[in-house]
Amino acid sequence: MKVCLLYEDHERGREKDYYDTESIIQDLGLDSLFLVASKEVIYDDGEVKKLEAEDSFVLETLHKTMMVPLNTKEEIEFRQDVVRDSLKFPELIRGLYGICISVLNSWDEQGSGRDRINQGSPAQALVYEIRRLRKYCDALARIRDTMMRQNGLTSKGLTMFRGELLMAFPLEREANIRKLLDDVLFFTDRITVNDEYREKLMRPRIVLECRLEDGLKLGPMKVQEVSSETSKFFKRGGTREKIQRFREGRIPDSFPTIEDPRVLGYTHQLEFELVNHLIKKLKNFKEEFRTFFEQLKFQTAFYVGAIQIVQHIERFGMEYCFPEVCDRRDLMFEDLKEFVMAIEQRIHVIGNTTSLKQKDLLIVTGANQGGKSTFLRSIGIALIMMQCGLPVTAHSFKSGIFPRIFVHFTRREDSAMNSGRLDEELKRMNDIIEHIGDGSLIMLNESFATTTEREGAVIAYDIIRALQEAGVRILTVTHLLSFAERVYNETKDDPDSGVAFLSAERRQDGTRTYHMIPGEPTFTSFGLDLYEKIVGNIGTSGSV
Amino acid sequence: MEKVGFSILSMNEDDQAAEANAEMYQDLNLVQIIDDLAAKCGFRVRKLFGYMPANAEEEAYRRDIYKDVKKKAVFDALIKFTESLAALEQLKKKTEKVQNNLQISMWGIRMVDTYCCAYAELARDLKQADPESEGLQVFLKILEDILATPEFQKGMEHTGAILKEIREMRFLITYEKDRMSIAFGEAPGDGAYEEWASSVDGAENEKLENPTAAEIPINELEKACLSVLKEKRPELFKAIQRSKESLETYERPLLKRFEDEILYYLSYRMMQLEMEEAGFRFATPDTNEKKRMEATGLYDLALALLALKDGRKVVANDFYYGEGERFFVLTGPNQGGKTTFARSLGQLVFLTKMGFDVPAQSANVPFLPGLLTHFSVEESVETGRGKLMEELVRLAPMMQDYRTGSYVVINELFTTAANYDAQIMGKRVLEHFIGLGCKGIYVTHLKELTDEQSGVVALQAMLDENGIQTFEIRRGVAPDVACAQNQVNKYRLTYEQLKERL
Repeated sequence: MKVCLLYEDHERGREKDYYDTESIIQDLGLDSLFLVASKEVIYDDGEVKKLEAEDSFVLETLHKTMMVPLNTKEEIEFRQDVVRDSLKFPELIRGLYGICISVLNSWDEQGSGRDRINQGSPAQALVYEIRRLRKYCDALARIRDTMMRQNGLTSKGLTMFRGELLMAFPLEREANIRKLLDDVLFFTDRITVNDEYREKLMRPRIVLECRLEDGLKLGPMKVQEVSSETSKFFKRGGTREKIQRFREGRIPDSFPTIEDPRVLGYTHQLEFELVNHLIKKLKNFKEEFRTFFEQLKFQTAFYVGAIQIVQHIERFGMEYCFPEVCDRRDLMFEDLKEFVMAIEQRIHVIGNTTSLKQKDLLIVTGANQGGKSTFLRSIGIALIMMQCGLPVTAHSFKSGIFPRIFVHFTRREDSAMNSGRLDEELKRMNDIIEHIGDGSLIMLNESFATTTEREGAVIAYDIIRALQEAGVRILTVTHLLSFAERVYNETKDDPDSGVAFLSAERRQDGTRTYHMIPGEPTFTSFGLDLYEKIVGNIGTSGSV
Repeated sequence: MEKVGFSILSMNEDDQAAEANAEMYQDLNLVQIIDDLAAKCGFRVRKLFGYMPANAEEEAYRRDIYKDVKKKAVFDALIKFTESLAALEQLKKKTEKVQNNLQISMWGIRMVDTYCCAYAELARDLKQADPESEGLQVFLKILEDILATPEFQKGMEHTGAILKEIREMRFLITYEKDRMSIAFGEAPGDGAYEEWASSVDGAENEKLENPTAAEIPINELEKACLSVLKEKRPELFKAIQRSKESLETYERPLLKRFEDEILYYLSYRMMQLEMEEAGFRFATPDTNEKKRMEATGLYDLALALLALKDGRKVVANDFYYGEGERFFVLTGPNQGGKTTFARSLGQLVFLTKMGFDVPAQSANVPFLPGLLTHFSVEESVETGRGKLMEELVRLAPMMQDYRTGSYVVINELFTTAANYDAQIMGKRVLEHFIGLGCKGIYVTHLKELTDEQSGVVALQAMLDENGIQTFEIRRGVAPDVACAQNQVNKYRLTYEQLKERL
């Protein structure tokens, strides 16, 4: 049976990651997001009381899931719906996740790990297997009952899961499987201790239809009856036992199996073979649910992560929304905030509102420390979150789907100007070009700043123009002035150019608002403002 | 009457030829071919290839049987038969360690039954397949006579009846409260547990195997079951106990011989089928005395068997001996396929004599009384004799074989002697064999041997326009080719080649 909580029609498998996920995580600072999302927020009377320790499985799951983009609007909405249900019924999701953990853990504890099984005797392995099947049954019944009790689910994912489970593990099937497992109890629980500490013996009743082989050995047998019966345990050699033996000894055409140790040995071998034969009948059941618990654990872990992400968004006093999918050349959002910055610096983050229609190249300019990079990252983080079905930290957010997202950030700490660095940048760009294609979006943050302004501008101009012509969506933050000016001059009179310019707002007094506003690229520092004011006119008259 | 001396390899055993020269098997790579056959049918077949039929009649006797074996109905009947006997052989080995008397009796019954049934089926199938060869017709008649003897009839009846009863016996084992009880008849209660258990999860309805099924001796649990069964079916078990059935009562030397000898034909047939599957052709050789000896598409079977494994290329050639032509003298470049061609001729003669199909597209091989081979030998460390000495020691008895018209394959004689001496000796050898009315082939690097001599035909191994070996053999004297040029060619280092490569 399939879980299908992440995708409507298949389990998590070998879906394609983003290209170079390492760079995406590093450049967008996603590790902080994964970490915080793996910690449950405990409330007390509506107040945040404490954070639970991190759940490394949730962390890993988010890491894996967020790095795989969804490809269609339907896929995104499917997941968003499950997230909505999860937010509505967090205890349901945590409950499912918890059952999976306890089942999988208890298997490990009882040594059902594959290695341990291979070390033990076949009989021991069979005992483990039967116990494991019982655990399957118990856990499945719990999950089924939990799902049955839950009212108010609206997502396709969770309602389908409930339906599938009812189909795959109905009460009748459970009863049959349990009966089969109970019939072979004699094999797993030969001696049971009852409440009064008096031992009881579990003994089989087996009827086999049999024939002889040509060489007088017993041939293949047909199982006619199997059950386990409890009987009192008498001390060996005691009077009670002797009486019992005497009584049983009067059964005609029979022989005892426990008097000759060799006969007993072969009897046990036959018992083992019989139980093994019967347990093999549950192969389909075993196969069907073999990966079920691992899958369910993984998939519910993602939604546990989603629940916790929203907890933290609220904890930092931010708004969230479920993004809408629109045309690839459009990008619109209101009050979009950079989530990672909020987590890391615990500050009140400024939100930005932008509306780009039919644009495929966005050039953001402005002086340093104006919030350009933060702005770019906030879009990147929101895109990644949107493309795995999570809500984003904005009042509203609309974007197209980009299964291929590339980041090309200059790593500031070692952006010394030397050819080695440029070489490294070009190499990275070359690698990206190898993988770029349909539905690609690239974020360039101060690219080609590792060479002179003139060279960098030429490189950037050529590459970006080629990318744009190839239909790639480009978001770039740059202070390569001649590059930005050249693009601006070429496109300012063409309303269909597909190019948009934003710049970091700076007030007259030089304070930065961290707002991006539309307009001509400006790189003016405070000093230049003054210069412009005092000698600007002379400059334009051309007589200096 | 049983004809004890009957053989499907020979009509008249007094005519059985002496064991062929072991060196011939090495020279013609027959060893590899026979190894391949032995791999299919067991090492027993090897010794059957050590004798060649003594005369044309004996060759035809085998050839006719082989024609029958090629018929699907005959082949299938024989294969089924040999498989039954092979299984019986396995059973014999497996049951050697059985100690329980009851079980020994029972295995005796079972083996006799298998043995008799295998022969009865063979007789039935063969009759249906209607063999045309004298050998198989006579064999079938003898076999039917044996099977009709009261001894066989009674034996089969007796063993068959006991086996039937054992096989049809059904009983229920009930295991509870540390006891097992046994009863004949239907299961009590609803019974169908197996069906129910399978239906729980859509599993297959399978039988529960006896966990000790792989062991032949019965174990203590089975003994305990048997002792209960014995009480319930005393007559049956008494009959088993009293039975002294054993294979030896039924085995006949004549049948034993047949079991071995039939592998001679079957092994070759299996190999042929496998080769044909891979695209190699075989032909039933004609033995028309009035026509010239010839073949088309002839190849080296030993090489082809290797090709089957490693995919190497096998080149086929045509040849004929025209009017008055007796000896091929084959010259040409090293590694040009001379030895392979000589071998394929030797194999052609050998396989024709043995009654088999030959590795060629078509062939006519009039009867040749003998097959002599001489391939250049390595100097022997053991005997301490020089190479020339070794060669002469082997050559002498060959030259004393005065059978008229044998086939002679000689490969590179006298390579260590001075050219002049080698020429003279070589010519003498040729003259000797031609004088004896022999046919043959002489592979040599001495072109002088192709000089005009009555009955000698010059053949050459061909090169292509680039001087690369084609392994093709044609009539004519090989031109002088510089040896070094060959090497250069081989490594594609000529001026033109380098221009191309660079």
